[in-house]
Amino acid sequence: MVKSYLILVINPGSTSTKVALFEDKRQLFMSSISHSEDELQQFSSISDQHEFRVQIIEDMLEKNNIDIRTVDCVVARGGLLHAIPSGTYEVNDKMLHDLRKAEWGEHASNLGGIIAHDIAQEVGVAAYIVDSVVVDEMEPIARLSGMPELERRSIFHALNQKAIARRAAEELEKKYDEVNLIVVHMGGGISVGVHEKGRVVDVNNAFDGDGPFAPERAGGVPAGQLVELCFSGKYTKKEIKKRLVGNAGMVAYLGTNDMRKTKELMEAGDQNAKLVYEAMAYQVAKEVGACATVLKGKIDGIVLSGGLTYDDDFVWLIKERLRWIGRIFISHGEKEMQALAYGALRVLRGKEKVKTYS
Amino acid sequence: MHRILVINPGSTSTKVACFEDEQEIWNETIAYDKSQVSGFGRAVEQNEMRRLDIEEVIRQKKLDLSSLSAVVGRGGPFKSLESGTYIVDDNLLQDIKLGNVQAEHISNIGALLADEFAKQAGVSAFFVDPVSVDEFEPMARVSGIPELERISLLHALNVRATAHKAAKEMGRSYSDLNLIVAHLGGGISICPIRKGRIIDVNNANEGGPFSPERAGGLPVSSLVKLCYSEKYTFDDMKKCIVGNGGLVAHLGTNDSRDVEKRIEQGDEKARLVYEAMAYQIAKEIGAMATVLKGQVDAILLTGGLAHSQMLVDWITDRISFIAPVRVYPGENEMMSMAMGVLRVLRGKEEIKKY
Repeated sequence: MVKSYLILVINPGSTSTKVALFEDKRQLFMSSISHSEDELQQFSSISDQHEFRVQIIEDMLEKNNIDIRTVDCVVARGGLLHAIPSGTYEVNDKMLHDLRKAEWGEHASNLGGIIAHDIAQEVGVAAYIVDSVVVDEMEPIARLSGMPELERRSIFHALNQKAIARRAAEELEKKYDEVNLIVVHMGGGISVGVHEKGRVVDVNNAFDGDGPFAPERAGGVPAGQLVELCFSGKYTKKEIKKRLVGNAGMVAYLGTNDMRKTKELMEAGDQNAKLVYEAMAYQVAKEVGACATVLKGKIDGIVLSGGLTYDDDFVWLIKERLRWIGRIFISHGEKEMQALAYGALRVLRGKEKVKTYS
Repeated sequence: MHRILVINPGSTSTKVACFEDEQEIWNETIAYDKSQVSGFGRAVEQNEMRRLDIEEVIRQKKLDLSSLSAVVGRGGPFKSLESGTYIVDDNLLQDIKLGNVQAEHISNIGALLADEFAKQAGVSAFFVDPVSVDEFEPMARVSGIPELERISLLHALNVRATAHKAAKEMGRSYSDLNLIVAHLGGGISICPIRKGRIIDVNNANEGGPFSPERAGGLPVSSLVKLCYSEKYTFDDMKKCIVGNGGLVAHLGTNDSRDVEKRIEQGDEKARLVYEAMAYQIAKEIGAMATVLKGQVDAILLTGGLAHSQMLVDWITDRISFIAPVRVYPGENEMMSMAMGVLRVLRGKEEIKKY
């Protein structure tokens, strides 16, 4: 009989922690705990939150009668590390150092590796991360910007992008490394990735302000005007950063990051809400059009994914601009927990080699 | 037959030409040393000097002003305007004199100079498709930061002249066509034209592909970090974005012929940078194709860089799936201005009022 594996999956977001338990590919349990701003405000940096979050996770597992000592491994969403190829990585000292020190930037997902390590050590099993946001398979030609000091970097929703691309390939009855896809992840940030035969050769960096604006992020903004804003003396660097990620994009225009609230405003006749809503779809479509030229028009499919796909009107606005490019798939919601479990499973079953972060 | 005097003031020269219909009869360039033009504050202060020199050219060429049908001057960064050929009126003259314009630029006095000679000739003065042409759809104006509205600023003169030329060759009416025009010069403007209206453009000073002298769109957070690093002044940063960006920053030259020579000699870095520029141009064209929902009759590549076969081939390879690509190398501002005036003199287009 083939051994089955019990996998604990942890996915820390900016205001929540998701936990799931998988037996092989079957999800046995999943829960999401939200953290209030007050709770999180007591920590000066994101990595300081790890003990707080570990405690909450352990309490929650106990309450649900899950014996943590039975798990075969702990897998978490990877954070900001130096650029690495796609795959499953064992959490090691070098990685922990980079995550704790926020060596490559602060992000809630940095907690993933740290928390997984804490719990795995207690139990005496391995901790992994899968397809971290810094997966980098970008072509050299895509790395240049118009300022040599500012290289375009590959930071995106790799975990979800890869999982969704693999599933679209399945639907096309082809292997992931045989198809050309454009994958659009639309959540609080929006990333549009060019998957050329299994490699993400170009992607807008949703983290660094590039591509379409999103519910909470500014995306690419007029560069010359931005420089003027920076030197206006009216804003600190921290304030400007907030205008790019957080209080940016749809939030900055409409005061909400919730598409349902935006729809309510539109239904009440708010013309500005309608304009911003349409402009966001317009910019998403433009980014996909740009990516289509990277593949020289040879595209097996465009996949729209993430929370925003639950909004049919928004999806329609994008689709009507893109139909001419190729077949469009919709993949509702995120499949991050599943993608993490599968990544760990591939390694546990020996189908893929575990990678080392160095 | 229409005889048209064309006046085009640039930063260190004034170009003057005389057209009889589409035919250029003569053209003259009045060159200035940097020292001759550096002493002035606002552009309008150069008006007198430039006018006297133009008068001298007119005398030498024995041009009889009373034989003119119209005078046309280069348009400047005036207030936002629809595309087209405009008659110079008192409102415009006043805005130029008072500085009610989007930017201080020598092209602002083109209309002033044209007006003076037109008055002497007893005809109308015009300007054609200034850089401030703005036919954006409202949604094209939105960026991810409310204070930083996307602004329409483009090489409208060459863009529209090229679009008209292509329409004629294609046997179609300009106002029936959906086109993407890429003006590839020191700065790059890529715009979708829907039934004659320029509904979006990257704005060469703010975004889009990098170009020989400009940075184009930049990774925003990293840019902010640089601004606050205290290593750069405001002027340094502005220079990095317009003037010393793009090819200049990467390769130390804005001359595509130099770059191509280096590529031929095996310079891998030059090749990567040059090809990356083509890559970004193609991406911007792809983005604009979605603005037209894929209904694109033709893509036009124009401007000085369209002379580069290497660049044109790289771009075409990535975009030919969208629509047929037509190449119109170079730009001829004088001809474009004359053609703009001819369109209204012949009644093919309405004269626009400022």
